[in-house]
Amino acid sequence: MITAPRVHIVFSIGAIIVVILGVGVLSMLSGAASERIATVFLISLIAVTGMGIYSGNSGILSFGHLSFMAIGAYAASLLTVPARMKSATLPNLPDWLAATELSLLSAVVIAVVFAGFVALLIGLAIGRLEGSAATIATLCLLIIVHGVIIGWRDVTRGAQTFFGVPRETTIWVAAAGCIVALILARMYRDSKSGLRLRAGRENAIAARAIGINIRRERLYAWVLSAAVMALSGALMAHFLGAFSPKKFFFVDTFFLLAMLIVGGMTTITGAFTGAASITVVTEVLRRLEGGFDLGALQIPPIFGTTQIGIGLIILIAMFRKADGLAGLKEWEERVFAKKAKTPALSGAAAATAVSADSPTLDARNITRRFGGLTALDNVSIRVAPGEIAGLIGPNGSGKTTLLNILSGVLAPDAGTIMRGDRDMSAIAPHAITSFGIARTFQNIRLFPTLSVYQNVLVAAISANQSKDAERRVQFALGRLELTDLAQKDAGTLSYGDQRRVEIARALACGPSLLFLDEPAAGMNREETDRLMQTLRALRDELGIGVLLVDHDMALINQLCDRMVVLNEGRLIAEGTPAEIRKNPLVIEAYIGRTNRGKIESPVPLHGA
Amino acid sequence: MELILQQTVNAISLGGTYALLALGLAVVFSIMGMINFAHGELMTISGYVLMYCGILGVPFTIAVPLAVLAAMAAAVLMERIAFRPVRNASGATMLVTSFAVAMILQVLFQNLISPRSQPVLLPEYLSQSISVGGIFIGVNKLVAIVATLVMLFVLDRFMTRQKIGIAMRAAAEDFAVARLMGIRANTVIAGAFAISGMLAGVAAVLWVSQRASVDPLMGFVPVVKAFIAAILGGLGSLRGAVAGGFLLGFIEIYLAAFLPSGMQAFREPIGLSLVILVLLVRPNGLIPAATIRAQKV
Repeated sequence: MITAPRVHIVFSIGAIIVVILGVGVLSMLSGAASERIATVFLISLIAVTGMGIYSGNSGILSFGHLSFMAIGAYAASLLTVPARMKSATLPNLPDWLAATELSLLSAVVIAVVFAGFVALLIGLAIGRLEGSAATIATLCLLIIVHGVIIGWRDVTRGAQTFFGVPRETTIWVAAAGCIVALILARMYRDSKSGLRLRAGRENAIAARAIGINIRRERLYAWVLSAAVMALSGALMAHFLGAFSPKKFFFVDTFFLLAMLIVGGMTTITGAFTGAASITVVTEVLRRLEGGFDLGALQIPPIFGTTQIGIGLIILIAMFRKADGLAGLKEWEERVFAKKAKTPALSGAAAATAVSADSPTLDARNITRRFGGLTALDNVSIRVAPGEIAGLIGPNGSGKTTLLNILSGVLAPDAGTIMRGDRDMSAIAPHAITSFGIARTFQNIRLFPTLSVYQNVLVAAISANQSKDAERRVQFALGRLELTDLAQKDAGTLSYGDQRRVEIARALACGPSLLFLDEPAAGMNREETDRLMQTLRALRDELGIGVLLVDHDMALINQLCDRMVVLNEGRLIAEGTPAEIRKNPLVIEAYIGRTNRGKIESPVPLHGA
Repeated sequence: MELILQQTVNAISLGGTYALLALGLAVVFSIMGMINFAHGELMTISGYVLMYCGILGVPFTIAVPLAVLAAMAAAVLMERIAFRPVRNASGATMLVTSFAVAMILQVLFQNLISPRSQPVLLPEYLSQSISVGGIFIGVNKLVAIVATLVMLFVLDRFMTRQKIGIAMRAAAEDFAVARLMGIRANTVIAGAFAISGMLAGVAAVLWVSQRASVDPLMGFVPVVKAFIAAILGGLGSLRGAVAGGFLLGFIEIYLAAFLPSGMQAFREPIGLSLVILVLLVRPNGLIPAATIRAQKV
């Protein structure tokens, strides 16, 4: 379930409990005023963590999360306010609700579940939106929920203050809620779903190619984060005792987002850092707000000092550390980086051979247009089981487009693609791994802030129902000679190493057919030779077929059983490397005719 | 029938203002990938210039260009001071930066000018109305419609005929390639901000001429609407922004006019739910930006 090393999780949870309890004890010792500040801090920290579960892991900034805080606050309060109070303040409440009087704990649980359910419905609707459109949709959500609360006077008292809520959120209640929220968020971050979502944040196209359904993982995170927001809202309501819809609108969104962003939204360490530093700064500035004496200088009261101060902190943070004060890693990931060694390669790391009857890939009459340009014109291609096929052609001949269509990234305008007797002409991008196909990309698409190990692991747990994922990871890392680099961040590797990580990631999907788009680009001769050996071994030992695009003619000539040549979107030749070398059409496509009409020798075609 | 016509005029007038604002956001977004939250504060600045001009007795015909120029200058300054350091950062970083700028400016307005709403002196004729074929149209509404059309026409000419306009469209398609062709990044981005400032300034004049007052948060609400309009139309698409602005104007005015009184309290949630509904059918907006389809794999 959890993909991180146990030592990380143990130390993280230990630290969460110690620090939060420490905050509680410290505030108890320093008087009622600081106890209040600490309680608000802990409740805010819950909210920041909740926002981070979604925004941090998915990379989509949300302005709408305070809606769920509001839903949690109103729902829990409606359940705990004494019946007599409700009959006075909310006379039009339905009878069953008016008579209900629950304890704080059961009210919070119900409110959290209710908010989660609402989030599920909303998430199903707006989960289709990407990037900035998704962010603005969450802004719409904030305004919509605010409008509904104000309009629904019978239940919420509209824009008026909702009061009479029992003030039962003590510092220890807040601390307990905070510990639960932080541990949940930490576990989610390194759960299978969290890791998949982070991969999707880093590179959506690559994530889909290894079988991740990003929309589904996003929905999980959305619902979980909404539930945590509702917990925060419910506790806030029972701390304040009285609140109005304004409490859950733009101003507080600004403060909580500031905490999230200044600290760094991808980690729990960041959430804590951000919440703590903004709370401290706010408290200091609030004291200055009323004006103060600076020796002879009298500073007049300035309205909104805290807002300006926080605005400036955000600006400085964005200019200097756009990833936030805590950066992209949890503290324990930095401290225990060395300890996170992957388990040693055991004998079990040999992968099972692809069954001999793995199906043929058969694409027929594929056509694809981009506007007026016909990138592929009626191209048919077959890749037999266990075959290494080369796909060559001059730049712009449609090689990558063909790979994109065969791997489900693009849909063909016409034509059919079959894998054995299964039709895969119109599949979703993330369904490709279920057809036994995995691929690499021409422009490297790794998950740069995840480690090499995580890059490969996330592929293994996402493709093929994550059967014996660990074994596939070890096998792929071993075969591509990456075991020593496993704990490095993928983005920090050299170009050639990054190419090998991409192949290892594709291999971890357990494919019977690999698409490699210029795998040797950026590799030196030695690396290319080793890659060739690896690919040949994979085919000979495991029966994995390969469809290879490259400009390195030496590689293609030595490795491929058969070659397919594209030019200007058309298939112009097909055959063994020796046949292709002699084919006049191919030579013309690459070199053109000489003035004398005589055909030049085709080798070397492309810098080989 | 008359009511419908009357409301249609109102809808075009309001939608036109949203369209100008959304267009300003889209010009910047198409080039930098940045959602400028502080766009509303440009409006507010224009509003205050109009207010001070009224107090000082500057004629309205001079006050209007001054107000628009002030918004343009403020937009260019904003880019130079606050946004240039984060120019190549992620969309989220730029958005948050502009969010902070907006908050700081709002507090500055509250402290340096007034936290309360201030009256703006407007010429008499703006508050009159004329009768066209049985329906009464406020002069301010008519001015808004005409001004919107003129602005859209001028901008279209600028983007298709002027060198810098064409350079901006090239930069919107592919900034890296545009720079390789010798287009200066700073010029294009400053130009984009100047245009967005101009559009915000004109929108502010139209907005103020309907209300005759200005407050520190004046720009916030219309610009939030403009974001929604820009998304509705297709983020980064200029024609989309205009379409989204008008559609949002129509949704709001028609709901206000024709929603049963019992449901008026939920007008805004209903309107925005309609927007989300449109987005569900067309996730990339009414007229998607060309760059969305051209992503290289």
